Amino acid sequence: MGRGGRQVQALCRLIPVPVFALVDCNNFYASCEKLFNPRLRDRPVVVLSNNDGCVVARSAEVKALGIPMGVPWFKIRDDARRHGIVAFSSNYALYADMSNRVVDVLSGFAPNLEVYSIDESFLELSGLPLPEGGLVVYGAGIRQRIADWLGLAVCVGIAPTKTLAKLANHCAKKGLAGADGVCDFTAMNRDELTALFERIAVGEVWGVGRKIEARLETMGIRTVRQLRDADPEAIRSRFSVVLERTVRELRGISCIDLEEVVPDRQQIMVSRSFGHLVTDLEELEEAVASYIARAAEKLRSQNSMAGALQVYVRTNIFKPEVPQYQRGVTLPLPEATADTRILAGWARRILRRIYRPGFGYHKAGVMLLDLRPAGNRQFSLLDGQGGTGDARSDRLMAVLDGINQRYGRGSLRLAAEGVDRAWRMRRGNLSPGYTTDWAGLAVVRAV
Amino acid sequence: MPEVLSAGPDLPPGIFVPLPDAPRRLLPLDGVKVSAGFPSPAADYEDARLDINDYLVRNPVSTFFFAVQGDSMQGAEIFDGDILVVDRSIRARHGHVVVAFINGERLVKRLYRRSGRVALVAENPGYPALEIQDGMELVVWGVVVGKFKRFAA
Repeated sequence: MGRGGRQVQALCRLIPVPVFALVDCNNFYASCEKLFNPRLRDRPVVVLSNNDGCVVARSAEVKALGIPMGVPWFKIRDDARRHGIVAFSSNYALYADMSNRVVDVLSGFAPNLEVYSIDESFLELSGLPLPEGGLVVYGAGIRQRIADWLGLAVCVGIAPTKTLAKLANHCAKKGLAGADGVCDFTAMNRDELTALFERIAVGEVWGVGRKIEARLETMGIRTVRQLRDADPEAIRSRFSVVLERTVRELRGISCIDLEEVVPDRQQIMVSRSFGHLVTDLEELEEAVASYIARAAEKLRSQNSMAGALQVYVRTNIFKPEVPQYQRGVTLPLPEATADTRILAGWARRILRRIYRPGFGYHKAGVMLLDLRPAGNRQFSLLDGQGGTGDARSDRLMAVLDGINQRYGRGSLRLAAEGVDRAWRMRRGNLSPGYTTDWAGLAVVRAV
Repeated sequence: MPEVLSAGPDLPPGIFVPLPDAPRRLLPLDGVKVSAGFPSPAADYEDARLDINDYLVRNPVSTFFFAVQGDSMQGAEIFDGDILVVDRSIRARHGHVVVAFINGERLVKRLYRRSGRVALVAENPGYPALEIQDGMELVVWGVVVGKFKRFAA
């Protein structure tokens, strides 16, 4: 077949509605550290949370040693020495830049994309030309490009719903199905999927946390297959509409659209594309403040605090004819907080740093990272007046949430909050800002 | 919609404002020109100013910078203290100057790849070529597409 013929065929065969891909970076933070440091090749690497508290990322070598996620560093320090584990403080500036680059690359693959967390994005593929080898070719293409351009490994899960795409990604990552880091549920028949789902614990399903898992267990639901085949009405009455939706999604009925706000275990992300292009800082500030308010409310509703904050803005990458700009900055907070005022203050400072006049902004977002339980507070040595930890702040935030619940979201909002002090954190082994700081560039030797 | 809420005895002062439908006051931003009158004859040329990024960086997503230490690449006009522009989206071929990871080191060398022989070659007679033998792990990290340097002044 000639070239023209293939083009015609490509035009005729489009990906049906709906198909989602979840692209997830493998061991993201640890991989970013390894990318620039040749001495870390094949070495076990962990990344620690703010103030070097707990393990928040592990390289493949560390996972193989059986060191769990979230373990306090002091508990494994001896093991770490014995195994030659290299520990890094969280270099959020580096991770955020690499994350933005991954999103940039993915943007070239699909017009509709949701940045779900710092290392995961959903793509909506329906309507795009179907490659001759099927969707798996598409997934392999994404994987190859991110490996080539950014030196990072990703896994791709492809399925007709977001919940299934997340599960397919899990299968790709664990080698349960698919091959070479890509798993396409749309290429598997119902029997194959049933057999696969029988082998996966229900806790692996997106949105099924430990509590729900335990309650499902009492109903005899232990596997993904059992949840898929459960009676949606019964699930709804015993749990919630949310879990009922999960059941339907497991059956291949897409119920969750791109860009809905879903809190993850480790991040809370709120982002929106604007209906029109936004050019002035004031308007961007308002948008970002409202996202912060929403994200912080989510944060408090799950009784967490955030240790780091990311804000990003971008122009419309699908209009290459207009000037393009995008920037995201992640800031580790001097002290974890759930206080809207403090988060908004930092967000505004970040925004002012990344805002450039003269561009039409298409989208902005905020992400709360390094989440931890609200009871588990570490006070900063330099904590001053109005610190986040005091009961007054908690009461105030409760009033804020209460009013917003009663009168509708956004009834009561922040005016402005400046946070003028910069604190220093304990970050014992912070890698340089390889991509974000001229003084941090990696040195190449000409010898 | 609630009544207009203001900071009261039960709320610390100065923190909340009523927002729904509150009138907005737009303030001029620094650096934004507001022109009244004839449009500037230069308006059509606003984008014409040269941007060094356009010159040095072809693919921003896949471009990274590295600082050079050493004099082994002088023949390729790469000097100590230069900053290299490295593009990972270019497939490294024989003859490209590359950033390579080998033996736990980051190096800048010219890639030699001909008739089964792979080597990293210096551009300075004082430095021998590094032959890549079986069992050595060479990672060609990216292709050097430019360099720049700032002088003290």
